[in-house]
Amino acid sequence: MDANPIVLDDAAGDVVVVVVEGEHDIYTAPTLRERLDEALGRGGGIVVDLTRATFVDSSVLGALLDARRRALEAHQGFVVCVGDTMEPGVQRILDITGLVPVLPVVSGRDAAIDVARTTGNGASG
Amino acid sequence: MSDAAPDVRLTLPARPEGVAVVRQALAGMADALAFDAAVLADMKMAVSEACTNVVVHAYEDADGVLEVDMLADDSALTIRVRDHGSGIHPQPSRTRDVPALGLGLPLIAALSDAFELHGSAGQGTEVRMTFRSSRDGDPADDNPVQGTVGDDGRWDADKSRETPAS
Repeated sequence: MDANPIVLDDAAGDVVVVVVEGEHDIYTAPTLRERLDEALGRGGGIVVDLTRATFVDSSVLGALLDARRRALEAHQGFVVCVGDTMEPGVQRILDITGLVPVLPVVSGRDAAIDVARTTGNGASG
Repeated sequence: MSDAAPDVRLTLPARPEGVAVVRQALAGMADALAFDAAVLADMKMAVSEACTNVVVHAYEDADGVLEVDMLADDSALTIRVRDHGSGIHPQPSRTRDVPALGLGLPLIAALSDAFELHGSAGQGTEVRMTFRSSRDGDPADDNPVQGTVGDDGRWDADKSRETPAS
């Protein structure tokens, strides 16, 4: 059993959601990078869902920023989403690094999927 | 108050899986001291970053130890994170597959109420952080993290953030 799972959810079809739960730091960052690589490899938009994450450190931000950069280079949408309320261990680092508008971070998975779908070139339409 | 929490010393292998163990110990200590949840969150973040620095930078590819002391007094918790490695590195490590953003020390400075860095080449490094159980203000206002993502998509500590439109 993994208390800190990172799984891909491709129920949205052209946008894959990387669901990150629990605490994540330098120990789990390599796994996050693998999952993000896998998501990028699908070729569509990417949403990283931190709704059920309780702690992320700068190793995680590094993985997210690398994935964002590669997604933008490949014209794939990239969006991070959170729930209505954020754990302090997630909100604080996003706030003080000023990354909310940069990543970007939006509230709600459905809204994030819409943004990821409409910002990448890979979007159908 | 502080009578309830003994001073704690942890000695662990300087490996990635140890950082979460330190956070758990810290949470227990803060619980005994009735720390505010927001201060506890800042402590966990800052101490994680300090421990991560040890894991990534202190020993190159060799084995080494991560030492963490937690010292309580009536109004604050002081945490020392120490290694016996090669000293303060100006360059990110190339030996791990997790590239550093260089955000560790800026985050520690922003999240702690006081912060000192000691060390020299060959003597190891010690990061000493103090967190007050109740705060008047936000330390991140006094020591804000500088920088943002540059045009190349990488973190740039020298780049100014755009002022949000009002």
